[in-house]
Amino acid sequence: MTSLTAEDLKTRRNWQAIITVIVLLVVGFLVILPLVFLVEESLNVGDPMAFPPEAYGLKNFIAIVDEDINVLWNTLIIAVMATVMAILIGFTLAWILTRTNVPGREKLERLMELPYYMTPLVGALAWAVIAGPKSGFANQLWRAGGGSGDLVDIYTHFGIAWIMALFEGTVAFVMISASMKSMDPALEESARVMGASKLRTMLTVTLPLVMPGVLGATLFVFAEMLGSFAAALVIGIPGRIYVITTAIWDSTLAYPPDYGRASAMGLSLFVVMFLMLTFYRRMIGRGTFTTISGKAFRPRPMDMGRLAWVFFTFCLLYVLLAVVLPIAALLFTSLQRFATVILSQAEFTLANYQTALSLGPVRTAMGNSLMLGFGVASFGVLVMVILVWIIYRSQLWGRGSIEYLVMFPQAVPRLVFGLALLWAWINIPIPIYGTLWLLALAYFTVMLPLGVRTLAGVVLQIDKSLEECARVCGAGWVYQMRTVTLPLLKPGILAAWLLIFMACVRELGASVFLMGPNAKVIAPSIVNAFATSGTELTAAMALIQTFTVIVALAILFRLTRGTTKELS
Amino acid sequence: MSATRIEVKDLVIRYGDAVAVNGVSFTVDRGEHVTLLGPSGCGKTTTLRAIAGLEQPASGSIHIDGYAMYDASARKNIPTEQRGVSMVFQSYAVWPHMTVFDNVAYGLRVRKQGQAELKANAERALDLVQMRHLAERPASKLSGGQQQRVALARALAFSPTVVLFDEPLSNLDAKLRAEMRVELRELQRRLDITSVYVTHDQEEALAISDRVIVMNVGVIEQIGTPEQIYNRPRSRFVADFVGSANIIKGRLSADGLFATDGGVTLRATAAHKPHGKESEVAIRTAYIDLEARPGDNHVPGTVRQRLFHGDFVQYVIDSALGSLSVRRPPVNLLDEGAAVTLSFSSEHCVLLEA
Repeated sequence: MTSLTAEDLKTRRNWQAIITVIVLLVVGFLVILPLVFLVEESLNVGDPMAFPPEAYGLKNFIAIVDEDINVLWNTLIIAVMATVMAILIGFTLAWILTRTNVPGREKLERLMELPYYMTPLVGALAWAVIAGPKSGFANQLWRAGGGSGDLVDIYTHFGIAWIMALFEGTVAFVMISASMKSMDPALEESARVMGASKLRTMLTVTLPLVMPGVLGATLFVFAEMLGSFAAALVIGIPGRIYVITTAIWDSTLAYPPDYGRASAMGLSLFVVMFLMLTFYRRMIGRGTFTTISGKAFRPRPMDMGRLAWVFFTFCLLYVLLAVVLPIAALLFTSLQRFATVILSQAEFTLANYQTALSLGPVRTAMGNSLMLGFGVASFGVLVMVILVWIIYRSQLWGRGSIEYLVMFPQAVPRLVFGLALLWAWINIPIPIYGTLWLLALAYFTVMLPLGVRTLAGVVLQIDKSLEECARVCGAGWVYQMRTVTLPLLKPGILAAWLLIFMACVRELGASVFLMGPNAKVIAPSIVNAFATSGTELTAAMALIQTFTVIVALAILFRLTRGTTKELS
Repeated sequence: MSATRIEVKDLVIRYGDAVAVNGVSFTVDRGEHVTLLGPSGCGKTTTLRAIAGLEQPASGSIHIDGYAMYDASARKNIPTEQRGVSMVFQSYAVWPHMTVFDNVAYGLRVRKQGQAELKANAERALDLVQMRHLAERPASKLSGGQQQRVALARALAFSPTVVLFDEPLSNLDAKLRAEMRVELRELQRRLDITSVYVTHDQEEALAISDRVIVMNVGVIEQIGTPEQIYNRPRSRFVADFVGSANIIKGRLSADGLFATDGGVTLRATAAHKPHGKESEVAIRTAYIDLEARPGDNHVPGTVRQRLFHGDFVQYVIDSALGSLSVRRPPVNLLDEGAAVTLSFSSEHCVLLEA
């Protein structure tokens, strides 16, 4: 037997421990520390810029209720409206696409992913162009057709909710259709065999079984709506409709910036969202209705006859409103000198793209975003692979709490996280505030849940004995990771890389707080352009950003299709 | 050098509050092939994985060649990769991203063998399982049976002294399984390896083992050669789980005979020294004749049911012993209702430990 010397093995053995400790320390530091600063600042009732605070108190929290009650009210109204719409959209789509014989079902299902990759920011800009008062395309057409006044006005509570619902609808769809798909059709079939009618089956079997999934999705979507920022920023601020996220943003713009107030609001929002998401996890995890067996069923679709085409139209209409129309409107706008939908008045030009691409700040912002995307995705995926391995494969004590830690940023609205990081790094004597380094740290931290979830999906599919076998053959941890785990994870790693890259290029919430004069990134720059220069230039910038994301997306689809073929 | 290669002592393994293995002790000699047999959840796989270092026991010890691999009292736990054992997994665990050759050569590369030596060893292992012609094929493009062979070649390639088998044949279809059984048995003899094999298939266990260890709910029920296990089951569990047997209740009478509850007196044998509290005997269905043989226990009965299985015929016979199952060769078939005499020797009427 060729034996390995004991010393060889000792050093290899230690690597696992060393890497584990380093990764955990770094992640713990990144996730927890900003929140500590946030709590500290929210209790600061002295000079808001002083650190450490001169006096502690609850004044900031009381002020929310005293002075900003209408902000809370706006937030609630918009979130409720948006959630109801999103769930209606999601439920209808899920039901159509899993339970009926709608034509082209598989292609439609693929299409439904598209809105997810459109950013709410781009959507909000587009809908401002489509449905803004006076100059909005819809209103231009209305007046050209002889109408008077405005047909629609997006700068309302409903307008904000509408945009948020369009883009969150696909999330609701994915969640609800997952619970519909995971239901064993035999449950319904046995009701039919016992003599129940279609309707009775639906009411007594289908709905009760799908209900937890729908409730879960509602809770999740509502939490997301409370923390959503982009639409409220683009539409709400010009319309003077403030919700909690924009109010947080606004109070940091005042002079002197009221970080105490902002932190108190951010912390409150975080607590509410955290409770809702915890409740959601409980509900999903409880499994009193264990329809989710991890096995996907394809229920027998109901024959809808002519009605199938109505459903087909509904699906297309959703994609049209959420993706096609916004992109078309932006494209149309970006190609004109002054945006109009009346073709006889239109002056077509490529000047906006020229300006966008030649304007120094825009170019650097785009360059910075791409660079951050590459850097964070590449380095981040490496760390996340190790994290995923520790959580789901190692025997490490307390790995469950590590999972909790890593998933934690999901419950923190990006904007609040940005604020927390801002306050933390103003006061930590390492001068990275206002540089790309801080943005990179922030991106890495907020992308943790996304990356870890994507990779975990792949790791859990890999038969554990593939790794154990390597150990039995004599491989140490590093050797096993290098020769077995990482190669098998390759498709997952690529997918995670691209998802993180896309998310970085689109990042808005955390970036608005952390961007410095010398470290601009693209999404906040687009918002700035919308506020200060014309819609035409903004549209061009938004499309350039979207295009970058689409390219990454195309590669992603290519790769995932390639690997699914390989695995089957 | 002692003859003992593996020594497992008082092994206890817990999952949270559940005890999977509850004080298991056994030894495996050099070149011996031992099988852990039992129903699912009996702790056999957990025991095997503990020998490989893939499970962390709660207490006890595991020695290989006299070296402590795990010893709770000495707080010693050698990691898997340093134990020098090899293993064939139930799922084969053939790495799909490598070729057949790379799979087989993995253990050799880990041991930093030179190119020439590595190639020779890997090819020798591939020859053992007749897979050399597929050496360059990607492992993802193999059938189940071929993957099985690759897994076996990989486990043998680095010339391990101990090979562990975790239900290696359970994913193959019946025909292939029977073929591989023959091949495995031959390989064991040729390569002079020591092996521990886990299965829930009693036929497989009896066919390919030097000794069988029957386990149930985390403890060992009986250790013995296949013939001992079959002919002299110690407990009701072993009699039931291995082969098929009729269990008849009764009690030992003063003269050493067994008086059944139905009022029949039988001459029985015991593997152990009877202590008088025994209340059951087991009679293998295959050892009961339906014609009186001289010197046997005789009990009259009638055929209630006949089930034709092809390789054998199973009769259900009503008698003073209750209804007994009897397996006979598929010749001279008896009709339902026919009068018969149940006949079995005292050798085959085994007193079970209470």
